[in-house]
Parts: sequence; structure tokens; C-alpha cells
Amino acid sequence: MASESSDEGGNGYEPKILVFACNWCSYAGADLAGVSRLQMPANCRIIRVMCSGRVRPEFVVTALSKGLDGVLVLGCHPGECHYSEGNYFTRRRGLLLKNLLQFVGIEPERFQVRWVSASEGAKFADTVEQVTEQIRALGPNRPQGGMHSTEPGDR
Amino acid sequence: MEDKLQELVVELLGDGAMEYFIGYRQGFEPSHVVPCFVTDKSEADRLIWGPLCLQNLSKYVLQARDLDGKVGLLVKGCDARAIVELVKQHQIERDKIVVVGVPCEGQVDPRKMEQVLGVSMEQVTDVEDAGDEFLVKVGGEVSKLGKEQVLRDKCFYCKHPTSFDYDYTLGEVQPFTIDSESEEYDAVEKLEELPLEERRAYWLKQFERCIRCNACREVCYGCYCKECIFDRTDPRWLDRTPLPRENEIYHLIRAVHLAGRCIDCGECERVCPVNIPLGRLYKKLQKDIAELFDYEAGMEYDTVPPLVDFELDDQDPFL
Amino acid sequence: MDRKKISKADLGRWLDTIAGKYELIGPTEDEGIIQFGPVQSSAELTLEYANSLIPPKSLFFPPVESLFAFRKRGEEIQLEETKPLQQDRVIFGIRNCDVGSLSLLDRVFCDDLEDSYYRERRERTTLIALACPTPPRSSCFCTTFGIDPLSPAGSDILLTDVGDVYLVDAVTDKGEELVALGEGLFAPLTEGEEKELQPPPVDMPQLDVRELRERLEALWEDEYWEKLSLPCLGCGICTYVCPTCHCFDISDVGSTSDGVRYRCWDSCMYSDFALMVSGENPRPTKRERTRNRYFHKFSTFPSRYGTGYACVGCARCLVHCPGGVEITEVIKDISAKEGVSDR
Repeated sequence: MASESSDEGGNGYEPKILVFACNWCSYAGADLAGVSRLQMPANCRIIRVMCSGRVRPEFVVTALSKGLDGVLVLGCHPGECHYSEGNYFTRRRGLLLKNLLQFVGIEPERFQVRWVSASEGAKFADTVEQVTEQIRALGPNRPQGGMHSTEPGDR
Repeated sequence: MEDKLQELVVELLGDGAMEYFIGYRQGFEPSHVVPCFVTDKSEADRLIWGPLCLQNLSKYVLQARDLDGKVGLLVKGCDARAIVELVKQHQIERDKIVVVGVPCEGQVDPRKMEQVLGVSMEQVTDVEDAGDEFLVKVGGEVSKLGKEQVLRDKCFYCKHPTSFDYDYTLGEVQPFTIDSESEEYDAVEKLEELPLEERRAYWLKQFERCIRCNACREVCYGCYCKECIFDRTDPRWLDRTPLPRENEIYHLIRAVHLAGRCIDCGECERVCPVNIPLGRLYKKLQKDIAELFDYEAGMEYDTVPPLVDFELDDQDPFL
Repeated sequence: MDRKKISKADLGRWLDTIAGKYELIGPTEDEGIIQFGPVQSSAELTLEYANSLIPPKSLFFPPVESLFAFRKRGEEIQLEETKPLQQDRVIFGIRNCDVGSLSLLDRVFCDDLEDSYYRERRERTTLIALACPTPPRSSCFCTTFGIDPLSPAGSDILLTDVGDVYLVDAVTDKGEELVALGEGLFAPLTEGEEKELQPPPVDMPQLDVRELRERLEALWEDEYWEKLSLPCLGCGICTYVCPTCHCFDISDVGSTSDGVRYRCWDSCMYSDFALMVSGENPRPTKRERTRNRYFHKFSTFPSRYGTGYACVGCARCLVHCPGGVEITEVIKDISAKEGVSDR
């Protein structure tokens, strides 16, 4: 995974962003954005999960530590969870994880949680655009040294 | 107090009230105290108690789950929080454990003591509790050290010097004072105030040192999963290679898995052979959980852990 | 070669000359931990140490090392071998217990199954041992296993601190080469000094290990192991700080088209160490794993390689075990077991 990451920096830099989208709201929102032919950057790789509460913290930590540039978790708005309360747990976990990642020096923009409903195709497109631009502005996730010092290719 | 403890253990073992008792004994040198498993009455005289009985023995009750009888355990107030959590998290029945509470007036941080004394712990032959200070014997000479100089960090903010849920107790804590200028979350706040890049550099340097001996995990009362995610081969979350990147994954995931369950016993940091300040990582989560969800692990039996609970009006920055 | 001396002031100068020609490795202190690491100059070294936390076996058999990199382009597979060393090395300050452990590891990595990575590191390294300070740490027990903390055996040069000067015994050609680099810094000993400048004798507890192996082998099914393993937490500290432990795991990191094959330390104390693909685990509980560790040190290794015991008495496991499983106690317990020798 890491060796494919776009960490060459400079002009050609395109961030790679992992998106977890809940099946009932956000994935449908993404669908709507597509069907509505909304333009958005193509930096996101979407993984559909049944609920944003399915996203375990290790998904996020591993993705970031292995060199992905950002992780975006999308779920139903609080109160609208298909399973009634899954996203309330996401909210608590997300808060803690975001703080912890910041605490160890990972930029807060690299891990974001947003609520996108099935009817919010435009919000999905906006969110993707916003997050992509934020992460593009940050640059590659730890371009040299540190994590990547023993990576294939730059030993 | 040691006599009382030994007598009690002899009595309990004799009655068949428990299969074995877990306490402390002196290790290869006087300042080195290690866990002691007393399976026979004749061994009870090895049991000791003092300011160097650092280990949280609670982890050991998990391996006693399959015993027919009960297991006895010497429990400091701070360690009792682990018992509360283990019971609350349905890892063991409370009545499988015979809790012998011990009044603790503060534990010594050997690293601090070495610094203050300027000699290695090897030369310390005795440490005795004397209210506001410790009497430390080095080479036949006794010196007095104020507790504020050498106490373990967690002892400054101790909430339960005596185990609050015990079957037997060895006494009550005599009041004592510590003059400390530091606040509970000082170390965490100092890190929080650093610029992001400096925090990054700080933690990378710490994680880089990790040799992945797994001691932090094995000593942790909360790491009771039958199969740890790090040991799984399919999917493979983590390679055994102690590369900085893998080490970071290890420590961050372990931290979030302990969020809301960590009782700040400090065992992970204490056993770390390469001195990674893991306490700060866990303290950060503890601080956030207290601030955001008003919860502290191991304090009560009947509160719901914060990550399996929610409030409709929880903070929501995600919108 | 005759015994020489070098003044304490000149030691740094000599080491700096060495650092100009070799990669110099020695004891350094960082975050309160003594470790052997490469230094640019002697000023970075510390001499205030009993021994390093991680034994210098890590310089020959690193905690993690890349064996080779692989790359797949279409049908073509490229392999790029890793060079273990860029430069010849000199290790300064190794203690005799660890020197002793290298001769045991040599049997593992250089006997019939040769490990080229280990061998190259071994051949291209010169060892300057430093005789242990007296008195030794209270935990040390190397003499139990026939190791003399003041002997040059196994190293290329032995330095002995006798106050203002170090005594210098260069016992191999490699050692003499290094001494030759420090021309003018070394002086022969006068007859009076030969007698006078002697390190104080080392006084260390001596454990009885004469029948250890035989007694141990009779204890395979003994309930002792159950009891012994109770405080063991199942972490890997004892094996990672052990200078003679040498188990490793191999993994490919990267993708199937682009990656590196790594070798890293593994520990027999881990619950999945002996786990097989079928799900069968011949050492399912701590009892078997603890027993295995001591059997390996005192029975399996000696019979497999025809050596002495695979313990050098460095006491690292004794000091660092968070559960307080003490190898010295194990030795004493086994020696004290009644009715074992006349089985």
C-alpha cells in the first residue's frame, strides 16, 4: 500500500484519501452526487461500510501510518442512523481519535468525520472537494524520514 | 503489617478459601520487589509490603479464571480500579477474587530515586514509609527523602490510597501531605502546547526506540483479548518487524483500544525496557475522556464505559 | 604480544584515530538507556556503565534487518541484496559476558548452516572488550558459566581500568592492527608495574551448575514449571535482552510487486511462537513456554551444538523481567530439587 502512495511532492502531487461511507446515507449521497454529474476531485477511494460505527480506529491509524494522505469517515446525521444510534458511537470515538492523532503530531485535517445524508449529493461533493484541498495544501503525509525511512525504495 | 498479611494468608489458604495468593516478595536484591505466588502456607513468610511494591497484580487474576476455587490478591487502592473494571467488563466474577486491601501511602519511582540519591537502586537496601517522607538506607546509612521528590507520578493524584472494595483489609491510611507543585495533566499539557511538528518529532523518537517486546500489552490489565489484533495473521494488521511505522501503529491502536478503560496504573510505562513515556499517551486519552464525557475508569461499578455509551448532546464538531 | 598501557587521556585520541578508519561503535547513553551505537568521535561515548540494555548481539544479528528487496516489473523479478556492512567496524566497550555470547551465536549462525549476513558482520568487526568495573553489579553471575570478566578470551583487545591507565592486551592480529594505529599512545609496562598494576579480583556469587543439565532433564514433567510460569506475563523482554537468544521471524513488507524481506527478532515466550498453520500449538500455555526457555538454555542448546550452557550470566533477564522470573532462582531451585540426581 505504502509504496503506491503519492509522496513525490512538488507540482504533480495528488493526495490519496481513503473514505469510509456508511451504506445507508453517505454512500447513497455519493451515488446521488455521481448521478447528478457533480464535479469533484478524484483523490478519494471509497470503502462502503454498513455504518460509520463500523469504522474501527485501527482502520484510520493503519491507513495514516502506512502513508495514505488522509482518511474521511462519512455517516448519517446524528439522529438519522439506520441502526438508530451507531453514529453516536462514531462521534465519541472520532473525537477521541482526532485528539489523539493531533497529540502525536498528525495534522487534524488528515482525519475528518462528516455527516452526509442520502439526499445530500451536493454536500458530498463539497466535502470531498474541501477535504482534498485541505490535504493537498498540507502536502504528502510525512514525505521523508520517520515512518518511511525503512520503506521499500528509500532505504 | 507484613505479619498481619502473612497470618491472614496462612489462614485463608488453610481454610481453603482460596487456591493461591498473589502478593509481593523481595527479588534478587533488596530494592527489587517482584510478584509472589503463594500456593502453600509454608511460603507465606516470603510476602512483604512496602513502598517498592509497584506492580499492579490485577492482571494475574485473569489466569486464575479457570481455577475451581478463588484467587487471593493484595490490592493497593489504585490497583483496585483494575478489579472494578475487570468485573465491569465481565472478565471475572467478583466473588472469584479474595481482595486483601492494603493501605498505601505512596510508591517510590525507582528512576526518580536514583536521580535524587545519585546512586543506583542496587545500593538501596531498604525504603521505609515514614509519613511525609521515606527513610532510605544506602550502605548502612539512613537518609530522609521527602515524598514529593521520589513518588511515582500517579501517587500525587491518588484517589483511593486504600482499596475501596475489599474482602479483608490490612488497615487504613494514615493521613500524610505531599507538597507538589505539579498538576495531574501537566506533562500532557506541556506536550499539547508544543507546535505540531515538534510533537511529531517527539513521538517518532519515542516510538522508534520500541523493540516490540509486548511487555506493555502483557502487563496491562485491560489487554485480555483472547486473540490480540496484533497477533492475528488474517488479516495481518501489523508485522512483527519493529520498524518505526509499525511501532507507531502498535502504540496508537493499543491506546485507542484502552480508551475509557485505562485506569492509569502506569504499568505499561514502568515495565517498558526502553523508557517510552507511554503514560503520557494514555493520560491524554484519560484527560479527554474526563473533559468530554465526564468519566473516569475504575471508580464505580455501575457507570457505563464512555465508548459504549453516548449522550444526544455530545459535542459534535463534525457537522 | 606483551601487555601495554594507555593513559586515560590518550584513550579518546586512540579511539578517534580508529573512528577515522573504521566505523566506531561503543556505549552511549540516550534517555537513560545505555546502548551500543555508532559514534563519530570518542566524545559521544560514555564510560559510566555496567552494561547495555540491549546486548551487542544486536550489532551482528539486528532486531530488524532487510535481507533483500524485490521488485516485479511485468514478468521480470529483480532482487537486490542488502549489504550488511558498508565499512569495517570496531566495537569498543563490550563486556566479557557478551563476548562469550558471541562464541555461542557463532555456532548457530556459522556452523553447518551459515548465515552470510551474520558472518560478514562478525568477520569485519574488531572487538575491544572493557574489563568489568569492580565490584560487579549485585545481579551479575557470569563466572558461574566459566566467564572471566577480566580475561581477553574471545575479544581482540582487552582494556582493564587500573586507575590512571588502562592495561592493554591485544591478543589477535586484528587487535594488534588497532594498537599499531595508536602509535606513541601505548607504552610497555615496567617490571614493577607488571606486578603493581593489577585489577582487583572479581567477587561474584557462584551458582552450582555442575549437574544442571542432568537434573533439568529429569524434571520435564515436573509440576515446578507450572508454578514457575505463574508470574510470567508472556512478554518478550527476557529473550530480547538476552545475549544468547537468537530466534527470528521473517516477513515481507510492501506489496507483492515491490517490497523488502525483513528478518526480525522473535520470542519463544510469545503465545503464537510455536503456533502452526493447522492451529496446533505444541507449547500452548506459559508452562510449556517457560520450560522451553530453560531447557533450551541448559539442555537443548548444549546438546545440539556441543557447547556449555547457553547462558552467560549477564543478568539482563533477571533485572528486567516484569514478572520477576529469576533465572538464578531457577538454577538454585533445580539444584535443590530432592531426589532428582538419583533418578
